[in-house]
Amino acid sequence: MPQRLIFGLASVLALLALYTVAATAYGRPGVLPPTTALATTFASLVTGRAPAAGAGHPHPADHLGFLLHEQATLPGALAVSTGRVLFGVGVGGALGVLLGFAMGWRPALDAYLHPVYVLVRSIPPLALITYLMLWLGHGEAHLLVPVVYAVLTTVVIPTYHGTRDVADVYVRAARALGAGPGLLLSRVVLPAVSPAMLSGLRYAVVVAWMTTVGAEMLMAGDGVGRLVVGGGLWSSRHTVGVDPAVVIVAIVALATVGWLMDRAARAAANRLTAWTRGRPRW
Amino acid sequence: MVRRAVVSFAVLALVYGLVAELAGPLLPRRIWQGTHYVEDVELLPRYASLAEEAVFLVRAEILQGSLVVSGARLLAGVLLGTLAGVALGLAMARARRLEYLAEPWVAFFRFTPAFALLPLYVLWFGAGEASKVLLIATAVAIVTQQGAFDGARAVPPLYLDAAAALGAPPRLVRRRVVLPAALPHLVTSLRIAVALAWVTLVVAEMIAPEMPSLGYLLTLSSVYPRVPSIVIALATIGALVLVSDALVLAAYHRATRWMRRRHDDR
Amino acid sequence: MTTADLPPARLRVTDLAYTYPGRIPTHALAGVSLDVHDNEFVAIVGPVGCGKTTLLRLVAGFLRPTAGTVLHDGRPVTGPHPERGYVFQEEAIFPWMTVRENLEFGLLARGTPPPVRLAKVRELLALIELEGYPDAYPKELSSGMSKMVEVARVLATDPSVLLLDEPFGSLDAQTRARMQDELHRLWEARRTTVLMVTHDVEEAIHLADRIVVLSPRPGRIKADVKVDLPRPRALEVRLSPAFAEIKRTVWALLGLTG
Repeated sequence: MPQRLIFGLASVLALLALYTVAATAYGRPGVLPPTTALATTFASLVTGRAPAAGAGHPHPADHLGFLLHEQATLPGALAVSTGRVLFGVGVGGALGVLLGFAMGWRPALDAYLHPVYVLVRSIPPLALITYLMLWLGHGEAHLLVPVVYAVLTTVVIPTYHGTRDVADVYVRAARALGAGPGLLLSRVVLPAVSPAMLSGLRYAVVVAWMTTVGAEMLMAGDGVGRLVVGGGLWSSRHTVGVDPAVVIVAIVALATVGWLMDRAARAAANRLTAWTRGRPRW
Repeated sequence: MVRRAVVSFAVLALVYGLVAELAGPLLPRRIWQGTHYVEDVELLPRYASLAEEAVFLVRAEILQGSLVVSGARLLAGVLLGTLAGVALGLAMARARRLEYLAEPWVAFFRFTPAFALLPLYVLWFGAGEASKVLLIATAVAIVTQQGAFDGARAVPPLYLDAAAALGAPPRLVRRRVVLPAALPHLVTSLRIAVALAWVTLVVAEMIAPEMPSLGYLLTLSSVYPRVPSIVIALATIGALVLVSDALVLAAYHRATRWMRRRHDDR
Repeated sequence: MTTADLPPARLRVTDLAYTYPGRIPTHALAGVSLDVHDNEFVAIVGPVGCGKTTLLRLVAGFLRPTAGTVLHDGRPVTGPHPERGYVFQEEAIFPWMTVRENLEFGLLARGTPPPVRLAKVRELLALIELEGYPDAYPKELSSGMSKMVEVARVLATDPSVLLLDEPFGSLDAQTRARMQDELHRLWEARRTTVLMVTHDVEEAIHLADRIVVLSPRPGRIKADVKVDLPRPRALEVRLSPAFAEIKRTVWALLGLTG
């Protein structure tokens, strides 16, 4: 679909050009950093070295300087955040699948668990973070728990629905053919639920990124969230001002990594559910 | 089914009460806050403490004030975001060129956690209401745009053909055919959007805090810390999320009275 | 009777051809010429895939011909229009609208004022004998009833031509027989010009003045069979020997019998 590509690219380039014009016309680099500033900031954050003096860098340089002083670089921050995201998706995903499966498979269990689940789910995971910190201290745990929790609650829903929808038709057919519980599970239920599960995976990735960045922005240890916020929750807004160039660069980096992960998740999902299109293998 | 829910809640409430009373004294009361110790922390507040704290918060009008302010922000953000998102989604579904043009930006915003935009919004729109409402609106618009787009695309061409054969001008088709047919998809995405809006709001209020707001209540209570306040704030937020979700679900059922049902919705 | 005695053709199809695009293009129709006269009821039958639905969609204006022309009252057909009422094979009643809202949709489309719409809807409800159901949703109706609403919906705009694409194809056999009777009654009352596609030969013979038989793909007109049975035709007409004779002819043309 070349037309799609052409229009997409044209749109991006057009907006970039528009932004450059607007930023230079507006003339306040502390609010709308010119594209050159974005480029130099990007270079600084990647290499960890301060930009050349007078390279059109806006005030307040404190934000960038502060970060460089702390030796926070873009690749480093991305690596840390990605690590947290993967942990959250892995652990939260596994637990979510188990729970969703259990609730979908046994309606009795579902009837009692579901209201509790709804209640628990209604509390945003990031809101818990300060409370968790009191229990779990200042290590990684209070950052990872919200991510795991968020992924769990996201994955449960499609898994639950997928399991419920399978339960009737295929199960009865398999049972009529004499399938025992083991075979039923591995050859009938699991493959039938996997499309729903894997679509949940894509949402889980988005949610995991959101929660991770949010947690980092609140707790400002390391990671991309910290880059964006500079100082952290408990440092005054006024001592470490926000450099929009840093924020924009960080956001673009985030969006790119998030998009790549989504593509990977989509490819994995397509590969594992290739049987949904075309003839079944058994 | 309602009976089972009540049983579950009752059991949970009882268990919590018991654990709080019994395990409470065993928990540490001196917590390390990263730079200093705080004394007299009740990690698992008993119902008595919670009641006491609730009374205090209500008397000082902190709870009501926060509720109103946060609630208003959320409503404004959701309304603005839904309008923008639906308009964009429907437009994109109608004009292929627009879809291609807007696609990279929609994708970009989808993979950007909304909170990351907060510092920019605060810088651009000031630390007042505008930045927070706009942030919520952004997050909501992304989700509802997807819902509107998918919904409009999912309208069976059969209905469009039937409308054309009855001589319906494009405006009428959009209003009386596309929109009603797309409504289920749209409202489903609205549910997700509302949940996201709450998360965005609370976190935004925690990052860029000012009183009164639920987010700030949450962080403020963590600074001293007053755990009963934290728990009450969390419970309030949870309740509000549930209520707004229930409202959207009710709106959904009302708007889709005409649909043939297969399962019940959760 | 010569063609000069008949009124001028309402619908004139000349050398119509259509090819579906794609990796392997499908030649659905290859040179079909047909005249449908005023107040005539013409049925099109043919084997599966012979292009009968394609032909109807071309006449309606949903498709643009690859070759040939379609003239409605002397004017070329360029797109769908309420003058050519179309009833679909699938269930096309708008499920989110009540019966009343469905029926008045065509009138709403042309800006008819509310009191006129109300009167028309009442008239239509009486015509299809659903006076008690104006505020019902389609999900509350049986498939036969909702199909009748679709027919009435199309009649609301007083089209000069009615195009029916296997209208009762999705109904069960009993409902279908009843609906065919209903359609016959409606047509006797209004005598609109009708072009109907069907795979049900009995339905065609019961309702039509003429039966056009198409060949297998690519569709061409194989034969044009006149149905001389006297009107009005009650259900019993299906048991008459004249009926059986016509049926024999059509079946032979379709290659069903030797």
